[in-house]
Amino acid sequence: MTPTDTFLFEAESGNKDLESVGTPAVRIDGRDKISGAAQFVDDIDFGPGLLHAAVVESPHAYARIVSIDTSEAEKADGVVRVATGKDFPYKFGMYMEDRYIFAQDYVRFVGEQVAGVVARSHREAVRAAKLVKVEYEVLTPLLDPKAAVEDGAELIHPDLDEYTHVPWFFPKANTNIAHWRKIRKGDTEKAFAEADYVLEDTYTVPRYAHCAIEPHVTVSKLDFADRLTVWTASQSPHTQRHLFAEALAPLGFTHKDVRVITPYVGGGFGGKAGVSMEIIGAALATLVKGRPVKLRFTREQEFYNTYQRQGVVAELKVGVKSDGEITAVEHKLYWDAGAYVEYGANVVNAAGLSATGPYRVPNITNDSLCIYTNLPPGGPYRGFGYSEFHFGLESHMDRIAEAIGMDPVEFRRKNAIIEGDELAYGAAMNPSGMLEAIDRTAAAIDWGVEEESDNPNTVIGKGISLFWKAPAMPPNSSSASFLKFNEDGSINITVSGMELGQGYLTVMAQIAGEVLSVPVDKIRVETPDTDRNPYEWQTVASHVTWSSGLAVEKAAIEARAKIFDVIHQVYGYEDDSLYLEDEKVKCKTDPSFAKSLSEFVIDGIQTEDGTWRGGPIVASGKFMPEFTNANSDPETGQGGHPNVHYTVGATGVILEIDKETGRIWVRKAALAVDAGRAINPDLVKGQITGGLVQGLATVLYEDMRFDDDGKLLNPNFTDYKIPTAFDIPDEIIPIIVEVPQPDGPFGARGVGEHTMIGAAPVIANAVYNALGVRIKSMPITQEKVAMAILEQSGN
Amino acid sequence: MDLKIKINGEDWTLDVAPADTLLDVLRERVGTKSPKIGCERGDCGSCTVLIDGRSVRSCLVLAVEADGHEITTVEGISYDGLSALQTLFLENNSFQCGFCTPGIVLSATELLEQNPNPTRHDVQEALAGNLCRCTGYEPIIDAVLAAGDGGSE
Amino acid sequence: MVIANEFDYRRPDTLGEAIQILSEASGSVRILAGGTDVVAWLRDDVIAPDLVVDIKDVPGLHDLTFEDGTLHIGSLVTFTELIESDVIAEHAPLLAEMAGTVASPGIRNRATMVGNICSAVPSCDAGPVLLAYNATVHLAGPSGERTVEMSDWFTGLRRTARTDDEVVTHLTIDPGRHGGVYVKLMRYAGEDLAQASVGIVVSADHDYRIAFGAVAPTPIRSSRIEELLRGKTLDEALIGEAVAMVSGEISPITDIRASAEYRTHMTEVMLKRGLVAATERLEGTGPAYGTRLV
Repeated sequence: MTPTDTFLFEAESGNKDLESVGTPAVRIDGRDKISGAAQFVDDIDFGPGLLHAAVVESPHAYARIVSIDTSEAEKADGVVRVATGKDFPYKFGMYMEDRYIFAQDYVRFVGEQVAGVVARSHREAVRAAKLVKVEYEVLTPLLDPKAAVEDGAELIHPDLDEYTHVPWFFPKANTNIAHWRKIRKGDTEKAFAEADYVLEDTYTVPRYAHCAIEPHVTVSKLDFADRLTVWTASQSPHTQRHLFAEALAPLGFTHKDVRVITPYVGGGFGGKAGVSMEIIGAALATLVKGRPVKLRFTREQEFYNTYQRQGVVAELKVGVKSDGEITAVEHKLYWDAGAYVEYGANVVNAAGLSATGPYRVPNITNDSLCIYTNLPPGGPYRGFGYSEFHFGLESHMDRIAEAIGMDPVEFRRKNAIIEGDELAYGAAMNPSGMLEAIDRTAAAIDWGVEEESDNPNTVIGKGISLFWKAPAMPPNSSSASFLKFNEDGSINITVSGMELGQGYLTVMAQIAGEVLSVPVDKIRVETPDTDRNPYEWQTVASHVTWSSGLAVEKAAIEARAKIFDVIHQVYGYEDDSLYLEDEKVKCKTDPSFAKSLSEFVIDGIQTEDGTWRGGPIVASGKFMPEFTNANSDPETGQGGHPNVHYTVGATGVILEIDKETGRIWVRKAALAVDAGRAINPDLVKGQITGGLVQGLATVLYEDMRFDDDGKLLNPNFTDYKIPTAFDIPDEIIPIIVEVPQPDGPFGARGVGEHTMIGAAPVIANAVYNALGVRIKSMPITQEKVAMAILEQSGN
Repeated sequence: MDLKIKINGEDWTLDVAPADTLLDVLRERVGTKSPKIGCERGDCGSCTVLIDGRSVRSCLVLAVEADGHEITTVEGISYDGLSALQTLFLENNSFQCGFCTPGIVLSATELLEQNPNPTRHDVQEALAGNLCRCTGYEPIIDAVLAAGDGGSE
Repeated sequence: MVIANEFDYRRPDTLGEAIQILSEASGSVRILAGGTDVVAWLRDDVIAPDLVVDIKDVPGLHDLTFEDGTLHIGSLVTFTELIESDVIAEHAPLLAEMAGTVASPGIRNRATMVGNICSAVPSCDAGPVLLAYNATVHLAGPSGERTVEMSDWFTGLRRTARTDDEVVTHLTIDPGRHGGVYVKLMRYAGEDLAQASVGIVVSADHDYRIAFGAVAPTPIRSSRIEELLRGKTLDEALIGEAVAMVSGEISPITDIRASAEYRTHMTEVMLKRGLVAATERLEGTGPAYGTRLV
């Protein structure tokens, strides 16, 4: 890390009390959102020329396309254009180019786009799509990742070895393994032989859906000057522009010809990262020049043809000494990555790097396999692989503690990774408040105090789990910001991180406001337009508070330098004697001096000779983590520094279970997360509450169910049960730990994804604590609990 | 078919098809965009509007069914500044992405109209048909309870 | 998704006009009341009628009265009206208990109880309760009015005794002094379809009427269990005998919502807890109506 990155925080916070950072500032997007003013993509008016697209989808999980007849559809009322794979024989992909805009010769999952219909009305488009006749030769799908890696398995992508991909992926030619992340550290075999206790077991996690309430929607327009503008509900405007420009390059597009505009987004959770359905809309627009084309996915499509959280079969072996010291971890993760892994393979990679969990482990064998199956494409989902492997890992830790007669909290405390410990890939662990998080979480649920229910039908259980997660990013992913002052001393900031609901815009305003002594309500931060806003890689990985926050902090520092320079030119005060307070420039050496920003940040200051100095204060900032490096050894994973830092924490619950029905009530849940510095504590609490409830839902209620032909059976909220206002803990205790991240803005690091990671294993552990029943597959529904109790009692 | 309808206090006469839903007409013909398209089958509540003061799923109402009735959306309660409930939503961070918020504000408005001092259970019941994926509901429930404690004065 | 198919729409002003439209219609017709099922099915392309007949302007169908011991519930009475009605609270609070489990307020404000039994899905909440109440369905058609007992109402999956040219005008129930319960298995506490359900009405002379939902192609009465319990005072052994009969009375399926085994197990638990609660309510004790038992 560069000195500037490292010491920004200390330079900024060392010399005065913070006024904006650390306060629960009111959200700057609040009024828009509670008044109905907030505009999402689907709310933008495009006038009478707007066309509507509908997609023709594969009903088969695996089939060869024999023929496509679009003639009837083309003749239907209102139809303007019908397109198929022949119109766009172009590949695209985020980390690996394995997808096509429309299926070419084969379809590889139920719901894959085969053709698109553009019509004058939505109704006409939907009707015409039904008239497209596709003849298939149906093939036998591979739905189980472990079957897909057996010798002789059908190859879902026979040309895998020809695919373009990032250098840190290691596809295995002539297999269904698109990427195999290996970690080899120490001598696992020897450590297991010398361990006093070894536990080996398998845990399974199904697929999950993001369920942002706003569906994916995109409007694309190719104008008569050949510029393509795409309005998307996206977490990744610049990455989308890049992928559109790359995929459509054969049509003559360059980056400057493509413009992506993203207003407010109605929730993302990873599902709106990268490019999924948006490429369909962008491509169709190129065929109907001059007309905007809207493609809005139905809730069903939202489930089966955007990214899904990948399922995993986790084979875990952990060895310990009798005093509780963990000596070895062997973790084999078989990921059901789906038909296309262009994004999902990086989930597999991230999990493989960190599959020891937040523990100090000297001997490690991690194998994380990204396996093609004929299910919908896997992809990023809040937690990015960590939620999945923590289920088994943190269940396992409880079981080991019990087996060796140690308290599960004490066992975790003993092995928890702390600053300076060596990570699986060889680098050192960053500062962290893990031990504080464990202690405060345990205290919040009265750990060690047994509780009995008043109700004869119910029992009470407690559980605890730890979590960690690092942002998974290319080593050179970066953020930038522009900042400009207005006449009244108010500020406009442009960035390209997305306001997904987490409060990003407000946090950026707080960071800039802190540096410039301007109150948050005088700062406007705008959502992205790639023509106008500076670059941001994506709003994923819980990295924007940190990365984009640093870019904004740097822009603010640059603006401050320009402000001081004007004062210096006019009044002669040395720059290092000047400081900002209450929207004024003040001087340490001349207490009588105070100059309001609003007096000069646009018009400058008149000097004694009548001329002017200064002019509009504008600034920019950028940040790239220049200390990271993804070039590790493919066979051992050693040598690189792929992760910037880890955020850690702990989750604890008290739950009550009805022994007859299996119904579970979460009576109390506590979650501690080390935010480094909570720029806005209320927003951190918002992430804790929301993420915890989302995580609890994955273990208590949700999962995707497929039939034997690979068709999703519950693509709706009737049968994919996301929580309602009733389905939350009776009490949630958010705990913010603040051990500063040295290179973070004011010490901050991200917390957005982390808050759901510990939820699944903490329920598994508490259910065991209550009933003595260990459930090793998610979800842990009331039905599964009731049937397990019946089995336990021999009925 | 002719549709005569009052939307946020304003009279409209529109020619609609029987297959047009109230949600379609509000968004595409009237330009009232706060009711959102979330699931199109009555599960998520983001299309919630009030018909004659009672909450409905506008995705499950044919526009022609609303003939002669009065529709209220969040735009309609925001003309004269924020309501006390909306202000409490702001203070409690009772929203994140904001997509479900108009529907939730309306369901809570109906509740407080029917039951000015609701319990936590009453609030959960009133909001159980409005899905929010971001907040975990806790700050929403807090705001509605606060509004019921006399905050609505 | 968008409603892709076009259709005609009529909104008759009288019952006679409604029946005339239905009997003269040439293509497929759907009656529209609250619309929460019909419009959802139109969107999902489950139905594609040529004509939709909206009966909301037909006078008299909103009536909700209690006279001479008989409860009269018009076919346009919504679940919300049942919940908020003083008449229901006094004479048939079980209907309010059931209505409170249906979906969520925004649905209950539109959806009607009669529409619920006309849709006739196996999990319909009104089915078991109306069966347990021995309700009577009143229909009007081209050849006049007729009645159908609830026990004859459901004729198959999504099928009822109503003919295409008939309109259900109302239901009648003679509640008498009774205790009742509706126990509904849901996958979580929020809005859900019944995965299995039990409706019980116990009369003052210990006549038990018991119905199950979502464990057969239609909601069903359990005459064998009713026979076992008739006239008797419940005790643990008797409840145990009744519960032991459950698996012979129902034919649940395994689907993505629940397994047959769990549905059977939970029907047993719900019957056990329901019998106790209904009997206690008859005596004026027991959990308040609306309290969840599972």
